[in-house]
Order: sequence, then C-alpha cells, then structure tokens
Amino acid sequence: MRKVAILGVGMIPFGRRDEDTLMDMLAVTGLKAMDDAGIGDRPIDGVYVANMGAPILENKTGLASALVDRLCLFPAAAETIENGPASGASAIKNAFFAVASGYCDLVLVVAGEKMRDTIIWKATDFVATMTHPLAEYIYGVTLPSMAGMFARLYMEKYGVTEEHLAKVAVKNHNNGLLNPYAHIHMRITLEGILHHPHAIVNNPVIASPLRFYDACPVSDGAAAVLLGPAEMAKELNKPEIVIAGIGQATDTLALQDRDDPTDLKAVTIASQKAFAMAKLKPKDINVAQVHDAFTILEIAESEHAGFFKKGEGAKALDEGRTEIGGDIPINPDGGLKARGHPVGATGVANVVAITWQLRGEAGDFQVKKAENGFALNFGGFGNNVIAAILRREA
Amino acid sequence: MSDKLTVYKCKKCGRVMYPRHDRCLKCKGREFDEIEMPLPATGKLLTYSQLFALPWRYDVRFLTLGVVEFQNGVRAMGQLKTPDVKVGMKVKATWGLVREIRGEKLYGLKFEPA
Repeated sequence: MRKVAILGVGMIPFGRRDEDTLMDMLAVTGLKAMDDAGIGDRPIDGVYVANMGAPILENKTGLASALVDRLCLFPAAAETIENGPASGASAIKNAFFAVASGYCDLVLVVAGEKMRDTIIWKATDFVATMTHPLAEYIYGVTLPSMAGMFARLYMEKYGVTEEHLAKVAVKNHNNGLLNPYAHIHMRITLEGILHHPHAIVNNPVIASPLRFYDACPVSDGAAAVLLGPAEMAKELNKPEIVIAGIGQATDTLALQDRDDPTDLKAVTIASQKAFAMAKLKPKDINVAQVHDAFTILEIAESEHAGFFKKGEGAKALDEGRTEIGGDIPINPDGGLKARGHPVGATGVANVVAITWQLRGEAGDFQVKKAENGFALNFGGFGNNVIAAILRREA
Repeated sequence: MSDKLTVYKCKKCGRVMYPRHDRCLKCKGREFDEIEMPLPATGKLLTYSQLFALPWRYDVRFLTLGVVEFQNGVRAMGQLKTPDVKVGMKVKATWGLVREIRGEKLYGLKFEPA
C-alpha cells in the first residue's frame, strides 16, 4: 500500500447557518480543502461525500453527483457515504484505500449536514431512525436516552459522577472559546450547571441522568479533506501529515444485545486496529479528538481507545491530563460538545482538527509537540466506529 | 394487541434472542425455535432513562424507557408506566400502545413495578 497524506483541509464555522443550503456548505468547504492543498486545476480522481440526513431532512439524494457538478470535477468517480454519525470517517477510510491502493491519486472527501432547517423534534427523531426499528425506535428512544441508559450503567460500574460529566462540558466549552469554527462560544462553570440552587433551571435533565449540558448541540456544518500519495505533499510544499493507521469495527445494533452494555467493543477494536497499522501505542499520541456527543462518551471512549485503564478516565479528567496543557489533550477544539455535531460531518471535522494540530496551525487551541494524533468517530450507539491515527513525518 | 412476546431460541446453542437475528449472536446458527413468552411476565430492570426531549409526535411531557431482563435471559426495551423506578427492581411486562407513526398504532412492551 502507498503512504497516504492529508494534503488539504477545509472547514466552515459550525452552528446555525440559515443563509446556506447543504450544497452551498459542501461546495465552499470542498474548494477550501482544494485551495489549502494548492492543487490548482489538477484533476481529482475520486470524490466521497459524507452525509447522514439529507434524504430525510432535506428531501435530497445524490449529493456526490451534485457536488461534482457544482465544483466541475468531472469525470471524477464519486459517491455519497451514509454510515450514520460515522459517515465522515467512513468516507475518509474509503478515500484512504482508494489512494493507498494506487487506484486514485487525488481524492476529495467533503462531509456536511444541515440539521437546523427542521424543527428540533424532527431532527431528534431523524437521528433516532438509526436505532433498532423494532427493539428500540418504536418506544420513542432518542440518542440522548440511549446515552442516559448507558451513563446510568457506566456511572454505577466505574464510579463516574455527575460532577465528572459536568467537568467534561466545562473543559470542552472552554476549549470551544478558543476555536473560531465552534458552534458554541460560551463559558460555563460547575457552579452554574451543577452546584448552584438554580443549576437545575440552567441545566435541566433531558434524559436522566444526563442534563442539558451533557449533550452536544444540533448543528449545521461541513468539513473537507483532500488525500493524495505522501510524496505529493513535498511537491505541493505542504507539511507531510499521513494517515498512519485506520481501523473500523462494528457491534450489535441494539445496546441490549451486548453481553456487557458498558463495554464499547467496537471502540476498542477499531482503535487497536488503527494502532497496530500505525505501529504506535496510545502513549505515543499527543492529541486526541473523540466523539463526545454526550459527556459520558468522552470518558468512556478515552478508556476504550486505550488512553486510560477502564474506570480511570474520570480520574485523568480530574487531574487535568485531558486539558490543552495536559499530557493527553482530548478535544482541544471543543469537541462535539462545543464545536458542534453536524452528524455526517463530525468524523471529518475531527480529522481536520488533528491535521491543524500536527501542522501547528491550530491557533489558540494548539497543543505542544503534536507529532501523533488520534481521531475517533462513533456511529449509532457504538455499533459502527472508526479510529484514525495521523502522524507528522519529519 | 397481543398477550405474548415471540422470542427466538437458537437450535444449535440455545441462546435466546429478541427480536430475531438471521444468524445467532453467539454461534451463528441459522435455525431458531419460536417461543411464545406469555405476558404479563416479570423481569428485572437493568437500566432506564427518563427523557424530556421527546421525538416527533409524542404528546406527553416525558417518557421513561428502560431495559428489562426476563428470567429466560431475553433483554428487551420498553416504556415504563412510572418514572419512580430503581435499577434492579422487579417489573411486570405487558403489551400496549407505545407509539403512533403516521396514523399507524404501534404496540410494544410496557413495564410497571411488580
């Protein structure tokens, strides 16, 4: 297999983007990645568009063909990837293999989601359509309530407290303040969301035991990467950021079918595969972006990915190890919690954030000495997970 | 309405599943006995969540959802009739209306403290 580099990245600020259609967001972000790489009018061989909800939310299909048309990328091979909230990293995985195999040279991945055009209950219901139709969906289950049921078990088993969850929210909101692309720019405090007598008003329960600030916002947004053979990075005079490892794993659709529902096996396996391919260990990672759609997931994923032993993620958080200045900064860009979670775009946004870190272009949320980075994209409730390891070549 | 839940027992390894999979979760066997589990049945509440941000077209203030393990090993999600519950408590499962989607009434498991 050929070595594959991230030649260009592009992103637009996440949030409520009433002025843009989904296609506008995809087109602008795709061009940004192409321009960032400085490829000019070189031909692009392949295009992957990642999106989860356009057929339901926007009544729109065939996004990849539409994007090729907008950007005049003919006759590039193109397809749309729908893999739930893991669509973004799935598209990157496919693009990676297209380049690694030698079948394609330049492959553009553009991921986007438009979730704020619709009323909030419809958006919540749309996300819930990925749950088991018979065993879960018909009961009115939502992703927050899946996370609530998971959190109740995880907190009980590992002694994670409400305060730990609130600390993840406070940390990621603080990080989001440093990121001009973040959806939420708002400082929150433990006092305001947890300890004050009015905290229950500021931060009501949405899916017990989880509260409002335990969940990510519903966002519009898009992110893009341009992949190519590593030697092209030198030619384009770009830092050589390679995808050193990529791993994917699946688990049962319904949470109840797992022998131990607190065990996120797909996260463990996907991460192990990525580490094995990169020939690296979790201790070699300098910065990580995980899929904190809910605060409990940042803690659980950081353990399952191998950064901490099971049950020690909350302690690491208490000790400040996951802050920007810590030994393993997690979600320095604010994570899904503050950067926002346009579902299909998130996996690519995590990879863009790591690329910025490894290039030293992360601005106010730059971590020190970033040579190896880790990005996780968690689909369903852990039923389809992709981990990627990026490395900066000397 | 139904006064029973159909569960699937793998002919090869005996693992019981609900709802069905086309290959057994444990041994990948493809043949199952359909077992009719009479309702009401009792089971143990494994976890639950009371949700206030409801999906589309629910005309109630909140829903309480939980996962129950029955004596035969089957685990199933259902709606709890009361939010006053505790993990580990014994619940009684019955069959009832759980959702209406585009005019179609959907029935499923309802739980209440036994």
